[in-house]
Amino acid sequence: MKALLISDREYLTKTYHALNDLTSSFLQHKGFDTEILELEAENLTFCKGCFGCWIKKPGECVINDQMTQVNRNYMNSDLVIYLSPIIFGQFSSNIKNSIDRRIPNILPFFETRPDGSTVHPPRYENYPQQIIIGYGDMVSAEDQQLFMDVTKKHRTNIEVLIYQASADYILEALAKIELGRVGGMI
Amino acid sequence: MKNVVFVSASPKINEKSVSTHFLQMAGSELDETEFNKTFVDVRKSISSHSVSEAFETLAKADAIIISFPLYVFCLPGILTRFLQDYYNYHTKSGIATNHLKVYAIVNCGFPEPEINLEAVRVIKSFSQHINATFQFGILIGGGPMMFAAKDAPFMKKAVQKLKGAFSSLATDLKDNNVAELDSIKIGFDFPFARRLYFFMGNRGWISMARKNGLQKKDLYKQPYRLKE
Repeated sequence: MKALLISDREYLTKTYHALNDLTSSFLQHKGFDTEILELEAENLTFCKGCFGCWIKKPGECVINDQMTQVNRNYMNSDLVIYLSPIIFGQFSSNIKNSIDRRIPNILPFFETRPDGSTVHPPRYENYPQQIIIGYGDMVSAEDQQLFMDVTKKHRTNIEVLIYQASADYILEALAKIELGRVGGMI
Repeated sequence: MKNVVFVSASPKINEKSVSTHFLQMAGSELDETEFNKTFVDVRKSISSHSVSEAFETLAKADAIIISFPLYVFCLPGILTRFLQDYYNYHTKSGIATNHLKVYAIVNCGFPEPEINLEAVRVIKSFSQHINATFQFGILIGGGPMMFAAKDAPFMKKAVQKLKGAFSSLATDLKDNNVAELDSIKIGFDFPFARRLYFFMGNRGWISMARKNGLQKKDLYKQPYRLKE
């Protein structure tokens, strides 16, 4: 099984290194073939909202930079783990750019979820299991809750964890997650 | 005279920005004899390497109004970068921002405005990090449609509510009271409008793709499909 571990080169803090070691060891123990990608602003621009990935070159971002490889590797992994700094209760800009530019992997159309909310339908039958682990030093309880809401409230098939130097918590939480591709609504 | 800085954070390049349009609507509610109005375009600041000038403008503000489109249920990456860097600038320069008021105008492509709530909470968190006071957010569902079809009869109520929200923002800017108020939600998420919105939106994607020489079936391509 293949895993992709995505992190932000701008925030390689002591907390990050501890979390990265922890997650890498977990994946190795589970037998994953892991690729590590450290994102940096120089190789990863922001989504320009051109919708070229939907109406010009469906399924592929029209900007040629690091995301071309990230999107291909993302879709060909069984598990993707983001290690994201928590900035104002959401992702850092490098991580957010990579998430914004993942929209080629969904369709442009509008559909209604069973709960009545709107969603773009999936482009593929199944996707890698996504786990987002937020980290930071001195992150307030309010920002931690916001990070959980930003990540989980409008999505399905995604897990979110907060790392605050407790290795046991992360390992126990990871052990409970079914690691493999998932289908259905995003 | 109060300094009000209007921050537009649409990442779009050659198209009319819905976020900027809403910001201009909000700005038109403010009398020039009472307010000194400055507009900052995040994308232009970044592409012209003039972010430091934008930060200096923000540092002198009495109020900041940030308008942006929702990207994947939160702030677009370009705005996240701008605020992240402004926070670092603010921390290093030790600017006093005790009386600074911050507002958010967030619009999304989906018809339900409440989807914007977490993005507004992020702006509130940013405000707290720079010791400013977050006042309130204006959450707009179906923003692009509200802009494109603003004169259509089915849009009348939503447009009236939008003008009312910007009027409330102007009143709050005049007021010296600094305290968070309830956010205002504007959408047209009732059954008929929702069906019409979906129909027009879905047909629009196909029409735009055809202009690029694609057929409807091409929109469903799976370039990264796994070989199973």
